[in-house]
Amino acid sequence: MNYFNFFKYWRTVLIVAEMSIRTQLSDGFVLFAIVFQPMIIAILALFMLKDKGGDFAMFVVVGSGLTGLWSSLLFVSGSSISVERWTGTLESLVGVPTPFDVIVFGKNLANVFQSLLSMVFSYALAAWIFGYSLTLSQPVLFFVTLLLSMFAFICFGLTIAPVFVMYRSIQQWQNAMEFPVYILCGFLFPIALLPGWTTPISYLLPPYWAALALHGTSTARMPFQQTAFCWIMMILFSLIDLAIASQLFKFMLYKARVDATLDVE
Amino acid sequence: MRMNSATRNLRLFLQGTLLSYMALFAWLRPVTYMASKVLMPLAQMFFFVFLGSYASSGKNADWFVIGNAIQIASVSGIFGVTFSIGGDRDAGTLPYLFGTPSNRFVIFFGRAFMHVIDGMIGVVVALTWGVLLMGLDLSRTDLPALGLTILITTFSTCGLGLLMGCLSLLTANVMFVNNFVYFSLLIFSGANIEIATLPAWMQAVSSALPLTRGIASARALAAGVPLGEISSLLFSELGIGLIYGMLGYLLFAWFEHQAKQRGTLETV
Repeated sequence: MNYFNFFKYWRTVLIVAEMSIRTQLSDGFVLFAIVFQPMIIAILALFMLKDKGGDFAMFVVVGSGLTGLWSSLLFVSGSSISVERWTGTLESLVGVPTPFDVIVFGKNLANVFQSLLSMVFSYALAAWIFGYSLTLSQPVLFFVTLLLSMFAFICFGLTIAPVFVMYRSIQQWQNAMEFPVYILCGFLFPIALLPGWTTPISYLLPPYWAALALHGTSTARMPFQQTAFCWIMMILFSLIDLAIASQLFKFMLYKARVDATLDVE
Repeated sequence: MRMNSATRNLRLFLQGTLLSYMALFAWLRPVTYMASKVLMPLAQMFFFVFLGSYASSGKNADWFVIGNAIQIASVSGIFGVTFSIGGDRDAGTLPYLFGTPSNRFVIFFGRAFMHVIDGMIGVVVALTWGVLLMGLDLSRTDLPALGLTILITTFSTCGLGLLMGCLSLLTANVMFVNNFVYFSLLIFSGANIEIATLPAWMQAVSSALPLTRGIASARALAAGVPLGEISSLLFSELGIGLIYGMLGYLLFAWFEHQAKQRGTLETV
């Protein structure tokens, strides 16, 4: 994967993103994953955590938004290549001169961007329906964190999609991967509640650093050094994910051509 | 040799229930079943138990374990039953089904039978994990009564699933509707929130849904309450399941009538 391709083909990335958003927003399952499920989780958490005091409502807004981001990444980005195979467009996409990973990057960009709706809807729910006064404690740092989180999620998605295409035995676990990440990444409760042996696993997941920094900059007035450390971890994991994705895409396309299985399940 | 009507219907019921269940899962490998029917619900249960423990500072873990373990019945009740009924349309077998003179009532309720058993197994697995990993205390529980509660709750949830299954014949957005109802049950059933703390309109919705009384019964049993004291709750739970199941059957009959009249058997 040539990282400069993302800049060279920026128009393609944006057009793919626009096409993806237009297609996906008419899909009931996608709408459920990015709007309704996070809102239901937000309602549950707003009722359950109401005695926690402080900025718990903002904590819930951010946490439930993150659940939408992850669910969408897992189910929509995870299937971003498979879905082209199901609709018979995979061969054309691989055949065009534009690098295939650029196309998938555009799809993931759309997916992560539209998933931010989950945070917006959760905010609206908490503010207008439940009547909470919501303020970000460090708004500038929060929005920088949000941008880096989006990038980290997109890169993470780039590693998931080819794995799911090549190894159906792993995709079969897709349904079971949703809630463990909610738990391990501390979206709605601190990971300190979990057994100690799970902590290293949390540290290896980019969404954990995103959640830590987003919660920290929205409600906890996290010291800048800690926020910066989370940013570094997200950038580091993004680069690692891009390097892994690069090899996975090469291997996937090589394997598909050699085995002649591009359009075969 | 001619079979009498009851024997014929019993055979139809058993064949229908087994074949529809096998058709639903035959294309899957055991690992997919494990991921979707065992690990996903357990992970969901752990998430809400941890969230509940965080909310109550660790005081009420049993309350959340029981609520979410019983709620797992709706995985089979909602998704399993709905897919069993909607699967006939997806697989193109609906015209053949409606072309037979077979007893519709038996065919329809047969679609849910295996899912009642499957759902019960799911709840028992969840409770077992609750005991082993979350320290759920069932020492004061009347276990046969808890088994009866699980049976009735799973049955009533499958009643809702039968109604949802018929709705799946009328809409293309089956997954959206199923997921919406499934996740809404997490709010309204009392699995995670004390129903008394909900607004009045939400309490009214809650009281009209399956699971609510089943979860309340299971919690009471775990607290050492004898079966006699919760029998009215269980009768209500059973009644609600029957009402939903019958509504589903009426919708199924209406769908068949309309589809035959309009020639829309395989369209939505």
